[in-house]
Amino acid sequence: MTVMIDLKNVSYRYPVSDDFVLKNVSFSIEKGKFTAIIGNNGSGKTTLCNTIRGFVPHFYKGDLEGDVIVDQTKILDYQLGQLGEKVGYVFQNPFIQVSGVKDNVFEEVAYGLENLGVPVEEIIVRVEEILKLVKIEHLREKNPFELSGGQRQRVALASIIVMDPEILVIDEPTSQLDPVGTEQIFDIIRLMKERGKTIILVEHKMDLIAEYADDLLVMHEGELVMQGPVREVFANPEFEKYQIQYPHVTEIALQLQKMGTPLAFLPIRDEELAEALNMTGVKIHD
Amino acid sequence: MKQNILLQLHPLTKFYFSLFILVIVLIIPGYSFAFAIFPVLVLIAVFAGVSKEFLSIVLKALLSVLIIVFIMQMFFYPGDHVLWNWGIFSIKQEGVDYGLLLTSRILAIGSSFILFFRMTEVRDFVKSLEDKGLPPMGAYVVLSTLQIIPEMKRQANTIMEAQKTRGVETEGSLLIRAKAFIPTLTPLILSSIAGTEERAITLESRAFSAPVKKTSLHQLTKSNVDRVLPIVYVLIIVGLLVWRFFL
Amino acid sequence: MTELHLNNVSFSYPDGTKALENLTLSIVTGERVAIVGQNGAGKTTAVKLMNGLLKPTEGTVLIGDWDTKDYTTAQTSRKVGYVFQNPDDQIFHNDVESEVRFGPKNMGFDPERVDELTDWAMKLCGISEFADENPYNLPYSVRKFVTIASVLAMDSDIIILDEPTAGQDKIGLQVLGNLLQVLEEKQKSVITITHDMEFVSDYFTRIVVMANRQLVVDDHAQNVFYNTEVLEKSMLKPPAVAQMAKLLDFPFGILSKDQLIKAILTRRS
Repeated sequence: MTVMIDLKNVSYRYPVSDDFVLKNVSFSIEKGKFTAIIGNNGSGKTTLCNTIRGFVPHFYKGDLEGDVIVDQTKILDYQLGQLGEKVGYVFQNPFIQVSGVKDNVFEEVAYGLENLGVPVEEIIVRVEEILKLVKIEHLREKNPFELSGGQRQRVALASIIVMDPEILVIDEPTSQLDPVGTEQIFDIIRLMKERGKTIILVEHKMDLIAEYADDLLVMHEGELVMQGPVREVFANPEFEKYQIQYPHVTEIALQLQKMGTPLAFLPIRDEELAEALNMTGVKIHD
Repeated sequence: MKQNILLQLHPLTKFYFSLFILVIVLIIPGYSFAFAIFPVLVLIAVFAGVSKEFLSIVLKALLSVLIIVFIMQMFFYPGDHVLWNWGIFSIKQEGVDYGLLLTSRILAIGSSFILFFRMTEVRDFVKSLEDKGLPPMGAYVVLSTLQIIPEMKRQANTIMEAQKTRGVETEGSLLIRAKAFIPTLTPLILSSIAGTEERAITLESRAFSAPVKKTSLHQLTKSNVDRVLPIVYVLIIVGLLVWRFFL
Repeated sequence: MTELHLNNVSFSYPDGTKALENLTLSIVTGERVAIVGQNGAGKTTAVKLMNGLLKPTEGTVLIGDWDTKDYTTAQTSRKVGYVFQNPDDQIFHNDVESEVRFGPKNMGFDPERVDELTDWAMKLCGISEFADENPYNLPYSVRKFVTIASVLAMDSDIIILDEPTAGQDKIGLQVLGNLLQVLEEKQKSVITITHDMEFVSDYFTRIVVMANRQLVVDDHAQNVFYNTEVLEKSMLKPPAVAQMAKLLDFPFGILSKDQLIKAILTRRS
């Protein structure tokens, strides 16, 4: 397996700030993996995303220590412009994420491809495909500034995945979406994984992380405190002390365990609960 | 509206036409020719289907300027042929002539550019300049300004709503509304400053500075007319110059 | 003590776009109601009618004995506080404390009460430590709490929260939960729009479901989350606990973690 993202002892502080927001962070992510970054607000998740995308240190100055290596090349050796095609970044605030020069959604989504110099005929085909995938075909004629928060989140995601980057960094893409919309977004992310993309996602919705992600990075006050396959991290008793949400089913199972109920294993998905509790004679749905 | 032949002309063809009017009006002496340009422009506006907007902007933007300029020249241009006198004010023939010349030129040139912007979308014009070598950053600045104005209006509205819910009275007399307007400025400016950084990141996320030649969904086509017309303009100008200075 | 009544309320924009059709809803003093439904279901329109930001095109909205048509929004804001979805639309001061203080001060409360309310609201929202910070330097989730505090400080009887759970972590959700308890003790009515069904089932018993600009059902949480027809019509997902209970074939009605745990223990013994 090729390593796509590799951080070695990375520390970072923003200009004019005394405190490091990232403290000695090291991890590597293999190509094609879906990794979720979790942690409470202020733990450094977004800064970590900015670092992988190269906005730290190319855009945000400040002190960066250690090595950030994306696809075998040090982040400092890239020009910022070269990274656009390699790392797609959907960031948090959906209200600001519009180019500001396009007056309909179709052109908005096409904007990145224009900048990459993709031939017009190909742009049209690719944008059509993505609009359908992200379920925003009905918005194509709308002005991006007139969309609701949830609609803007879909447009922002579409505008990035249309550029077909190898790595996708996605920071809380569903905060303004209803449950069904959220699931649709996760299905799109899964599809991207099936297409071989390396995915890094920041999200608070643990049930969905348990269902979709491969690995977890747990951030706490700027430090990477835990990392590993999703199931192992949630099963590690250490996880509890960081005050981060568990998947709901895990929370219930842990509580039962505390009350003396033995568990066959620690469930992280709803459908595993019956099996984990050895509740025989109960109809188990798949 | 796009079916119209005049509107379909390449933006630069239309832009050159305005420049052409500017040049010939300056070459040809006297005011009667320059005044005669205006009805021609109106006629073009009618054919392009934009006469209503065109005339209303000319009235709003130019009429007052024309009247002021004319009155100023009429009274203050130095001259000997006094037509009318009252105290220190006197109208001189030279002033009237010069006033007419100046206003005729302002009218012709001003309205030809107004007509240009009525017949051309700024988006198209910027694109044509980009094709001519305007750097993408310049194009971005122009286009984003166009988008940001209605966006700021919308945002000012939302902020105004937010203030109502905090007990700020925004309905009623002019004074009340003016008082309510000032606090809206702070979040408007603050959020647009906070927005610039994120906007820059958004652009970068869309590969704005990718080291390749950009393409564009928006293509401008040049027809034969677009190729011929600029040559015609130049020929006429050269002809006029020859007539003016050598014959 | 203020009751809220919406009687056959419809709203259309001046261009004729319908945003809400025939909504009838009453909320009594001290009640807590969650409004749920898909994006675009008409939830925000409904709450904007409740605080007079929008005036009904048909029907009446009564806040206590005030018909919103007869009062400006600034006047109704004394009775109904509204926290916007996007905090950036709302904040207009350079530090957190002035932002929170603005509302009560603007209402002309005496200075002691203004101080008291400001401190109380900041503490309740967990933002006292940021009092002197510029709100724009704070993360989105904290900015949201700044806007909540600045509305709470106005001490209105009815409080509307639009998507307070968006982007909140576990700690943020706990702050919200605690805040709801405190408001209940103070006999404030709270109306919350949210997409977070766990938050809904943890803290709300009365649920108003909306879809396609209309009210689908206004009922007890159990009756909503165990009603397949309603769930399908409004494209809602029941909370995780209800989904687990269903997978384990437990009977109707389990919504809280405690209920589920109790049911599991009973079955095992």
